Amino acid sequence: MTKEELQVLYKAKILPESKNPYHFEVADQADLKIEAYNSLCGDKFQLYLETEGELIKKVSFYGFGCAVSKASTSLMARKLEGMQFKEAANLCNAFVSSLKEQQPLQAFEDEELGILNQLMRFDGRIDCIKLGWEAIDKNLK
Amino acid sequence: MLDDLKHDFPIFNSYPELIYLDSAATAHRPRSVITAINQFSILENSNIHRGVYDLSNNATGKYEEVRLKVAKFVGSENANNIAFTKGTTESINIVAQSYLADRLEQGDNIVTTIMEHHANFIPWQMLAEKHSIELRIAPVDENGDLIIEQLNALIDDRTKLVAFNHISNTLGTVNDIEQLIELAHQKNAPVLIDAAQSILYYDLDVKKLKIEFMAFSGHKMFGPFGIGVLYVADQLMDEIKPYNYGGGIIQSVTVNGTSFSNFPFNMEAGTPNVSGVLGLGSAIDYIEKIGKRMIKEHIGTLTKYCVEQMKQLSEVKMLGSPKNRSGIISFVVDEIHPHDIASFLNKDQIAVRAGMHCTQPLLHHFGESATARASFSIYNSKSDVDALIKSLKELIKFWA
Repeated sequence: MTKEELQVLYKAKILPESKNPYHFEVADQADLKIEAYNSLCGDKFQLYLETEGELIKKVSFYGFGCAVSKASTSLMARKLEGMQFKEAANLCNAFVSSLKEQQPLQAFEDEELGILNQLMRFDGRIDCIKLGWEAIDKNLK
Repeated sequence: MLDDLKHDFPIFNSYPELIYLDSAATAHRPRSVITAINQFSILENSNIHRGVYDLSNNATGKYEEVRLKVAKFVGSENANNIAFTKGTTESINIVAQSYLADRLEQGDNIVTTIMEHHANFIPWQMLAEKHSIELRIAPVDENGDLIIEQLNALIDDRTKLVAFNHISNTLGTVNDIEQLIELAHQKNAPVLIDAAQSILYYDLDVKKLKIEFMAFSGHKMFGPFGIGVLYVADQLMDEIKPYNYGGGIIQSVTVNGTSFSNFPFNMEAGTPNVSGVLGLGSAIDYIEKIGKRMIKEHIGTLTKYCVEQMKQLSEVKMLGSPKNRSGIISFVVDEIHPHDIASFLNKDQIAVRAGMHCTQPLLHHFGESATARASFSIYNSKSDVDALIKSLKELIKFWA
């Protein structure tokens, strides 16, 4: 990825999403609290899930992270609302697998995830992209 | 300023555009070191201390020559003060496990500082937990300088070791080790100096400074990975027990028991990293050829220039402003996470470190979750600093 491509990617999706993240707030009343933490770089988000049975009604998150991890977690929060636990875990698992090139992303046909997935080629940032997704996958499966 | 030394480092032939500002993580290797390592494989490969044939004798001789060379490099005439280890981390763990662990009693304490690398922090924390003793941690002020009075107040007659770095790998603070050693010795506590960041360009005369333990790594001083040094003062050499058990460290073994060699020969169980040791020896030759004073001057000039340039950028905040700074600058930029900084700088071929630099307690102290870090060596020039500043300006503008 060239510098120009990187700039386009940041301008188009990463920065708008990370500067106005979805439900970026502490939600202590949430039914489920999951920590997403990368001990190597220090990024740490608390994920808050309001649930009804196994239905995810609302996802919020709060913490410290780079533009990529924040944008990625924000996109994830949007996607997971309205899903059942299993569905959410499957999506997160498939997305994390796609980052590890274990599964092609085309299966998703999802433009936003596609953009995130492009960042995969952006060396050294996979951990940032998968931070929240991996936490959901581990905790809900 | 040293201008032509970049040519000594083949990595820059491979990547002419590379602006490498991460020498605090690892330094590049000059051609002479690479040659020494390769030459061993091609011409000299043999195990040491085991054979009577020429190859083995030669390898043993060269290996032991480096032990003396390292001793002299740190101001000792006694090669037996020097044990070869895997690196600074292992050297410190050896002191924790093979010297300190057995002499700790309830009521004792270990004194260290908040600015330590995890390698000089966790070993003491683990000992403190296991032996129910106190780990006392000296604070730093807002500039990133140790608060000496508070450190002094922590040391008492139950202090079994005072462990601190010479240079902070995150702040770049150069500690006044002469003063710190004096404070420890006033209470009869031995010191351990983590010299990983300073060995390259600070004079460390272990005899003059009366240092008991000192640790450093080869790869931060132009040597190879996987080789490090533990210096132990004469009077404590007999107090160091073996760290790993195996061949090469024994006097005799029977079914009833084993007697061991003395330090340092009780440290190097198994086949040691012979080519690593020879590479380290070659790195010392290289450093001595240029001179520590010249290296220090060059890095000092660049760092000062970079600090001045960064001060011009209102969005950039440097972590700490120590009285005496080495070639390390940690910084944060308003609204831009260090990883994003590092990724964009990478696109301009600028390599900096981003993260917590294995100093989580220190970053918590400063209320930061991560920083970017630029660090300099002899292959850097003012144009590298200019490139860094230019990229940062561009990024700040892009982000707005």
